Amino acid sequence: MSKPEKLLEIKDLCVEFGNKKKKYVAVNHVNFDIYKGETLGLVGESGSGKTTIGRAIIRINETSHGDILFKGRKINGKIDKALDQEVIRKIQMIFQDPMASLNERAKVDYIVSEGLYNTRNYRTEEERKQKVEQALLNVGLLPEFASRFPHEFSGGQRQRIGIARTLVMEPELIIADEPISALDVSIRAQVLNLMNDLKKRLGLTYLFIAHDLSVVRFITDRVAVISKGRIVELAETETLYNNPLHPYTKGLLSVIPIPNPRLEKHRKVDFYNPGNHQCDSKTSKWVEAEPGHFVLE
Amino acid sequence: MEAPVSILSVKDLVIRFNLRGKTLTAIREASMELYKGESLAIVGESGSGKSVFTKAFMGLLDKNGWIDSGSILYKGKDLARYKTEKDWLKIRGKEIAMVFQDPMTSLNPLKTVGKQVQEAIELHQGLKGEAAKHAVVSILTDVGISEPEKRYNQYPFEFSGGMRQRVVIAIAIACRPEVLICDEPTTALDVTIQAQILQLLKSLQEKYNLTIIYITHDLGVVAHVADRVAVMYAGDIVEIGTSEDIFFDPQHPYTWALLSSLPQLGEKGEPLYTIYGTPPNLFKEIKGDAFAPRNPKALKIDFVHRPPYFDVSETHKAKTWLLDPRAPKVERPKSIEAIRAKWEVV
Amino acid sequence: MSSVLKKPNDRIDETLFTLAEYDARAAELGGYSNYSYWRSTWQVFLKNRVAFALLIIILVLLFFTVIQPYLPNQKLPNEIYLDPATKMQLRNHPPDAEYWFGTNSIGQDLWARIWSGTRTSLYIGVVVGFLTALIGIIVGAIWGYVRKLEHLFTEIYNIFDNIPTTVILVLLTYIMRPSLSTLIFAMCITGWLTVARQIRNLIVIIRDQEYNLASRCLGTSTARVITKNLLPYLVSVIMLRIALAIPIAIGMEVFLTYIGLGLPVDIPSLGNLINEGRLVMMSPSLRYQLFFPAIVLSVITISFYVMGNAFGDAADPRNHV
Repeated sequence: MSKPEKLLEIKDLCVEFGNKKKKYVAVNHVNFDIYKGETLGLVGESGSGKTTIGRAIIRINETSHGDILFKGRKINGKIDKALDQEVIRKIQMIFQDPMASLNERAKVDYIVSEGLYNTRNYRTEEERKQKVEQALLNVGLLPEFASRFPHEFSGGQRQRIGIARTLVMEPELIIADEPISALDVSIRAQVLNLMNDLKKRLGLTYLFIAHDLSVVRFITDRVAVISKGRIVELAETETLYNNPLHPYTKGLLSVIPIPNPRLEKHRKVDFYNPGNHQCDSKTSKWVEAEPGHFVLE
Repeated sequence: MEAPVSILSVKDLVIRFNLRGKTLTAIREASMELYKGESLAIVGESGSGKSVFTKAFMGLLDKNGWIDSGSILYKGKDLARYKTEKDWLKIRGKEIAMVFQDPMTSLNPLKTVGKQVQEAIELHQGLKGEAAKHAVVSILTDVGISEPEKRYNQYPFEFSGGMRQRVVIAIAIACRPEVLICDEPTTALDVTIQAQILQLLKSLQEKYNLTIIYITHDLGVVAHVADRVAVMYAGDIVEIGTSEDIFFDPQHPYTWALLSSLPQLGEKGEPLYTIYGTPPNLFKEIKGDAFAPRNPKALKIDFVHRPPYFDVSETHKAKTWLLDPRAPKVERPKSIEAIRAKWEVV
Repeated sequence: MSSVLKKPNDRIDETLFTLAEYDARAAELGGYSNYSYWRSTWQVFLKNRVAFALLIIILVLLFFTVIQPYLPNQKLPNEIYLDPATKMQLRNHPPDAEYWFGTNSIGQDLWARIWSGTRTSLYIGVVVGFLTALIGIIVGAIWGYVRKLEHLFTEIYNIFDNIPTTVILVLLTYIMRPSLSTLIFAMCITGWLTVARQIRNLIVIIRDQEYNLASRCLGTSTARVITKNLLPYLVSVIMLRIALAIPIAIGMEVFLTYIGLGLPVDIPSLGNLINEGRLVMMSPSLRYQLFFPAIVLSVITISFYVMGNAFGDAADPRNHV
C-alpha cells in the first residue's frame, strides 16, 4: 500500500514577534507533517503557539525562519501572485468565536460568497448562487438563510455559516482554530459530527487546534502536543492517550476532568512541574521512541 | 448521619426583564433547596438562566430586571422581597459571596491587590491597620499565593490569570460568607490551572465550612466537585439530584442529551448524539414543556401541559411527563445506558 | 400563566400520553432574534424628547429657508430700500409690519438678509461638513488599516495638527481672494484632522477582530475590507461627526468674518450679519440688528450639537436595551 501523500510539511519553523530588541519567540523550531485525508490535532494551553502556527500557515503571521511546504511548494515568505491565489483557495480557516468571526452588517449570502468574489471562481451569477446554496445545505442549514443577517442565528448556526464560507472555496486543507471552544456543550457535538461528515464526503484534511484534550481524542487521527512554542510529543491519538511519554503530556492528561463522579472524586492529580524537566534547553532532541511516536527529550 | 439542613430555599421564582420594550421571562418558576456544607452544581447552557438565577440571590439583577413572583428564603427572610440597597448590603459578602468568571475584569486595575483584599477584610471582619494587613497576608497564603508580603503591593496586571482568580476568591472568603457562588470560575483558565483552582475551592470549603454553588457547563467539572446537581433549561430547573443520580440515572430528555453529546462517550467513526435546534424564545409564553420541540421522544402532552416535578427517589426529581405512571415506557438512549455500564462499576 | 397542574391525575386526556411527531427541520427554524440595528437606534433616539424636538425645529427651519424667497411680499436681501416719504435710505428702521426684522444701517431688509444669510451659512456648513468627513474617512481608514503607511500618516497628521488652524486660514484667505469657494476650501484643509483621527482610532480597535482576519484569509482586498467590513460599523460615528461639523463650520465662518477674512459684504451670511450687528450693539434701539442673527445662529448650533450627540448615543449598540 502506498504511503499517504504529504499535504503540508512544517520544517524547522520559527515565528517571532516584536522587534530586534524585545523579541518574543512564539514558535520555536517546530517540525511536523500533515498527510492527505487525516485530522491532525494540535493541542496546547493558551500562549503555547498553536494559534500562531495556524495563522502562519494561512499567511496571516510572518515566519522568521524555516519553511512551510504545501504539496512540496514553499508558501511562507514572499510568493508570487499565482501561488498566493492557490493558497487562498486550497487552504482555509475556521475561527473560534462565532460571534466575532462573521461580519454583522453583511448578509449571509455575501459572507459565504466573499471568497468567490475574490477569486472569481464562478462564471455566472446563477452559478454563484448555486454554490452558496450547496455550501449551506452541506452544513445543514436551509438555503433561505442566505438573505438573513448573522445576528438572527444562534452560536452553532453561525459557526456552521463560518464553515460554509470555507467549503465554498473547495479547499483541500482546513485549519480549524478552536472551532468548538466557544460553543455550548450540546452544540459542539453537532459541529464535530459535521466536520467528520464533510471529511468523509469531500475528502478534506484538517489541522484541529484545541486546548481540550477530551474532544481531540474523538476527532483526530494523530495528535501533536505543544508547549511554549515547542512540540513535545507527536503520535497517533490512541497511542498518545494510552501511553504518553513526555511529562507535560502526562500532566495534561491527568488534569482533564472526567465526567464520572465515582472516578473523579477519588482521583489524584499529578501536576506537571516545568522546573523538573529541562525541555527547552538547546540540547533537546526530537526522538522517535517507537514507530510514529515522537518525543522531545 | 445528621439530616441535611436547608439554608437557602427557592420556590417558584419568576424573573422578568424589560428588553427593548418587550418582556423576557428569564426564570420560569424555578425551585431549589440548598443544604449546608454541600457543593451544588447548576448545569446549563447559555440562555438557560443559570447566572441570572444566582444573581437574584444577591440582588445583582440588571436595572431592567425584577422578581415577578416566588420566594427566596434565607435564614428566615425572604430575599425576593428585598428592595433597597441597605437590605442587600447585609447579605452581600457577609452571607452570600460571588466569584465571577473573568478574573481580568473582577479586579480593579488601579489598586494594589493587597489594598483590594484589605478593603473586604476591614469591611467584614472589622479589623484595621496592621491587624488587617496581617489578615490579608494570611488569606493570600490560604489561597495559595506564594510570597504574599511581596504580592501585597503588586497590581492585578502583574498576576497571571490563575493567580488573579485566587485573589478574587480571597476577597470573597475574606467576608466569611455562608454561601459562595462560583459563576464559571474556571472557564477562562487553562486546564492545569483549572484543576488547581478547583482543588483550592475544595480545601477552602473544608476549612471555612462553606456551602458552594458552582455554575458551569462542563460536566467534567461537575463530576469532580458536585455533591448535588441541578440541570437548568430555558429558565427552569428540569432535574435535580445527587451527582450519581444525574450521571447514572438521568430521567429528563434534556439531561440525556447533555450527557450523550459528551465527546468522551463517542465512538470514533460514529457520529455523536446531538440535539437539533435552538433554545426557545423566552419573549413568548411557552406552552407545555420548553424542551419538547427539540425532543425526539416528546409526548403529545409535552406540547400542551407543563410537567410538574415527579419524584424518582428521596434525593432525585425531574420535571418530565415520562415519569407519569400513564406515560409509555421510553427507552433511554444507548449512550446513557453505556455510561452506567462503563462507569458505574468502579 | 402557564398551565402547571396541581393535581396531575385529574382532567388530563389519557390520549395525550403518546409519542408526538418529531420534526427536526422545525427545530432548526427557531427564529432567533428580531433585533434590527437601525430600528433600535431610532427608538432610543426618539426617547430623547429634547433631541427629537430640536430635530423638528431644524427641519422646519431648513424647510423655511428654502421656501422663504418664494413666499409673497418678500424683499430682496441686497436691495437698499428707500423711505417713500423722504426718498432717503431707510436706515436703521426698527421692526414693524412692513419690515419684520427692521432694516440695517444702509437700508437693507433684515428679514430677507437673515434668511439669505442662513441659507449661505448652512450651505457652507453642509458642504464643509461632508467634504471634511469624506477626506477624514478616507485618510483615517487608510491610516488605521494599512500598517505599512501608519508611520507616514502619523507624521503627516502631526505636522498639520501642530500648525494653528487660524494661521492656515489667514494665510489661505490672504493668498486667494475672499469668496465662498475660498472659505470652503480653507475650512476643508483644516477640518479633516479630527475626523481622521477618530476614524483611525476606531479602525485600529476593530481591524484585528476575527471577521477581518477571516476576510484576509479569503483574499479580500484592502479596499473591500474597509468599505464592507469596517466602515459600516462606523456609520454612527460618521453621522455624528457630520452633524457636529455643520455648526463648527458656521462658527468658524463667523469667527473669520469677525477678524475680517470672511465673505465679501455683498454675500449675506450669518457671520456678516452678526458682524454688522456688533458694530451697532452699543445703542439700545439698534440692538435688534444683533439679536435676530444671533438667535438664529444659536438655534442652529444648539440643535445640531444636541441632535448629533443624541444620535451618537442612540447609535451605540450598548444603549439598545
